[in-house]
Amino acid sequence: MSSRTSSIERQKLIGKILFYLGNFIIGIIFVSPLLWMLCASLKPEAEIFANMNSIRTFIPTHASFNNYIEVFTRLNILNVLKNTFCYIALILVGDLFLNSLCGYALAKFDFKGKGLILNLVIALMVLPMEAIMLPLYIEMSQLGWVNTLQALVIPFIPKCFSIYMFRQFFSDIPDELIEAAYIDGSGHIRTFFSIVVPISKTVYATVFILDFVAHWNDFMWPFLVMTGEEKRTIQLAVQVFFGTQPVHYSAIMAALVISAVPMILMFIFMQKYYVEGIASSGIKG
Amino acid sequence: MIKVNNVKNRNEGTSAAVLVTPSVFLLIAFLLVPMIYTVYFSVFRYQIMRPQDMTFINFENYIKLFQDKDFWQAFKNTIYFTVVVVPVQTALALGLALLVAARTRGVAFFRTMYFAPQLTSMVVISILWTILYNSNPSTGLINSMLKSLGMESINFLSNKKTAMNSIIFMSAWQGAGYQMMIFIAGLQAIPASQYEAASVDGATAFQKLVYITLPGLKSTIKYVVMITMIQAMKLFTQPYVMTKGGPQNSTKTLVYYIYTEGFQEGNFGYACSAAAVFFIIVVTMSLVMKRLTMPKD
Amino acid sequence: MKKNLLTIFSTVMAVSLTACGGASTTGTVQDQSTQAESKTADGAASLTIWSPTDKESVEKWWAEKIDEWNKANPDIQVKRDAIDRSDSYAYDNKVATAVTSNSLPDIFFVDGPQVSYYAANDIIVPLDKYFTAEDLKDFVPSTVAQCTYDGKTYAISATESSVAFYYNKDMLREAGIDVDDIDKRTVDNPITWSELRNIAEKCTTEDHVGTHIIMDHGEGIPYALEPMYISQGKDYINETGDTAEGYVNSDEAVKTSAFLAQLIADGYANIEPITDEFLNKACATMLGGSWDVATLTENADFDWGVTYYPVSDDTKKAVSPCGDWSAAISKDCKNVDAAGKFLQWLMNTDNVATYAAAIAKPATRNSSYDTESMAAYKDYPLSLMVEQLNHTAVPRPRTPSYASFSTKYAEAMSNIFSAAASDHKVDEAYIKEQLDSVAADFAEDYNTYYAK
Repeated sequence: MSSRTSSIERQKLIGKILFYLGNFIIGIIFVSPLLWMLCASLKPEAEIFANMNSIRTFIPTHASFNNYIEVFTRLNILNVLKNTFCYIALILVGDLFLNSLCGYALAKFDFKGKGLILNLVIALMVLPMEAIMLPLYIEMSQLGWVNTLQALVIPFIPKCFSIYMFRQFFSDIPDELIEAAYIDGSGHIRTFFSIVVPISKTVYATVFILDFVAHWNDFMWPFLVMTGEEKRTIQLAVQVFFGTQPVHYSAIMAALVISAVPMILMFIFMQKYYVEGIASSGIKG
Repeated sequence: MIKVNNVKNRNEGTSAAVLVTPSVFLLIAFLLVPMIYTVYFSVFRYQIMRPQDMTFINFENYIKLFQDKDFWQAFKNTIYFTVVVVPVQTALALGLALLVAARTRGVAFFRTMYFAPQLTSMVVISILWTILYNSNPSTGLINSMLKSLGMESINFLSNKKTAMNSIIFMSAWQGAGYQMMIFIAGLQAIPASQYEAASVDGATAFQKLVYITLPGLKSTIKYVVMITMIQAMKLFTQPYVMTKGGPQNSTKTLVYYIYTEGFQEGNFGYACSAAAVFFIIVVTMSLVMKRLTMPKD
Repeated sequence: MKKNLLTIFSTVMAVSLTACGGASTTGTVQDQSTQAESKTADGAASLTIWSPTDKESVEKWWAEKIDEWNKANPDIQVKRDAIDRSDSYAYDNKVATAVTSNSLPDIFFVDGPQVSYYAANDIIVPLDKYFTAEDLKDFVPSTVAQCTYDGKTYAISATESSVAFYYNKDMLREAGIDVDDIDKRTVDNPITWSELRNIAEKCTTEDHVGTHIIMDHGEGIPYALEPMYISQGKDYINETGDTAEGYVNSDEAVKTSAFLAQLIADGYANIEPITDEFLNKACATMLGGSWDVATLTENADFDWGVTYYPVSDDTKKAVSPCGDWSAAISKDCKNVDAAGKFLQWLMNTDNVATYAAAIAKPATRNSSYDTESMAAYKDYPLSLMVEQLNHTAVPRPRTPSYASFSTKYAEAMSNIFSAAASDHKVDEAYIKEQLDSVAADFAEDYNTYYAK
């Protein structure tokens, strides 16, 4: 009996070791570009592209924070981060709020034109920004929005992806749960906020993470509609170093590391809710 | 659908209108309208620097487009990329999700690692991989490893036979973390009791995967395939940064073609005709996908 | 849990909304700053300038100069916006989108060969009134030529650029090459292609290749390689800028392209050179820009030299690249006279000298070289660049179809080079086919939009 338990325990232990070791190795491979970026950001310019033929490229031998100092002196990084967070936060507020309402209606209501709207949402999902950039810009200029926050935010609130995702998620919520709320006398909007939203943290967290990442990496649109140093967003700020001849990759890498930190923090933070959301929802699993 | 009570029935239509109108209005204003504009420009001769000289030329742009072998090449490349990257990336994402679906200590850390490439901009990823893929063993990490294994070096990005596959490999690696997140949600939705029952019956891990996990993930897989496909059709940044569509057009994609024709070379009207054809392809594709992923509607 | 999330979420949103609220109000106030509001409240003219963001010294120069001007000229107030372009194509996009809504700034910077593209499309206006033939005499001929289209001056530049042949003396000596001989070359006696090839061959080893050909898949290729074609006998495009047929696809051009492709086929140059290949000792020689002098002086830990741009063995005709960003007045400018007056001042001898020094490029005005800030250009290696600019520089083709040409040509050359690298041999028929398609695409673009 006791030898059996110990063999099971041993198996468990081996499983655990395999789990951590395997994940660790694959994980390192996955983060290698970030590691390289981090190492490069600590190296002097002349060393960045040296040793590209060996693993030594991942080791900064003459590490220093000079590149970071350069970034902080060149850029008003706080202002850049503020600008970026602002516009993305505004997009996300609109995105999560309006698109989840729309997704909810498409999932749980019967109404005229529903099929049409759903088709529209799906059809517009694949529109590449590059193909509609110019007409959209013309629209912005006719609205007088060029060089204002509106141009950065409002066109990106409607997102077919988010609507679709919300709709799929809400479809899986049992009708009984919602009906129970109606029987208690709740209206639609109240039911949505008091019953549906609390059990849908996962989908909100997912949409939040995905859209945040997408906008954080936006370059072309902010570049076209915004002009002026005081309105720089993060990707525009990184370009400051790309545009400087000769191009100093050391400074670029430092700027990129700075730009990645908020994203990683955001991901770690949101992931907690993402996981807890699933665990506490009670209806799933 | 909710069918029972009358509170809801009375004003369902009105409520639905209130809920969908803001999103749909914005959708029309900032996606549909620009799209229609693009289609409108496609029947004009329109040099991007001289909007004042726009001339209506009927379907001339389309005729030219269909005779342009670069366009067809871009079309083929886009399809090839999509057909290959979708299964590869989905499988990779599922594999990763299985690795980190368990709620064990430290799992959040690993998830962050797998998601990390997503947190770096595509431009940077592309620059980095251009360096890693470098053709010369004395300057490229991958080729120097091949050399130490006694293999010939490969011109990953400057040989037309390998360039697109190199981009596919990198893209799958970069994008898998995103789909992994969705798979994790899907995996956690499979009742643990099913696995417990299977364990009691003495099922192996592989059997559990085939008979419980995969069927349980059916709708998630459909969804992931759909969004991966949508992203794949839009491929642009990687060829723009890494290969500029070359060598010999082997990595030129439709969006890349539209962008360079329209903005870089200024043939805006012509580029719009390519965009219009692209719209038709992707809209059809999405509606077919919708049929497959949402059978009940 | 639920409360927690909601509280955090709403706090974040509330904070950011307040912060952004401030931003958006200021946004609306200065709002259409790019859209020419020609007069400020007190009746003074106001001008906006776009130029690419550059290094700190340049940004500082701009801030100081604009400040200086604004204090001295209360009636013409100037504001500059630094444009954070990712590459010159992105900058052109921004110009193109502004064109569609008539919201170009009053003055904007244009890359040299784009001047004719913009001029032909009436995006920029002639400056002859502000820069007479007499004024232009002080400018190096290459920049005057580049900024002229259809007989009129459309832009004015403070700086120039050049390309020359850099060599790593340590590596050359190791390969047994007579470095002193190369050091002593003059503008009348530059190294020839066969010498270049010989050096490249001897210097190719396990660790490094013999030479470096620019591989940016973009404007760098037509820019850096054009002198080779001219030296062999034919430019990319004819003098009047209306045809490429018989030029870019001439026998001379095929021969030139084959020479370059052969270097790659033989493994003497990398098809995918790393960034700073020369600095990182991964190649023994390179055709590098005038801007590389500064980088190498600062960072190189080896003995290096630079000599004149190589010439064709057949003609021995010395040619070198040139061209840089230039200032132009846009069609949307409401106060052309004010803008012209400002440019006259901006491009005076002292300003050109200090700007050129700040950006570390050769100045366009001969008189600027007499000032203290340009002192370094009196001596080798920088003096060599100035010498090339005055004697051998030829601007890129002045044609309205340049944007289209440049893209297609760079693409064709990338194809030729990659085919040479994969097959380890040069196929002249393939080169001809590629260059023919460049000529055909040029004709297509030119005939569609510009032919009379």
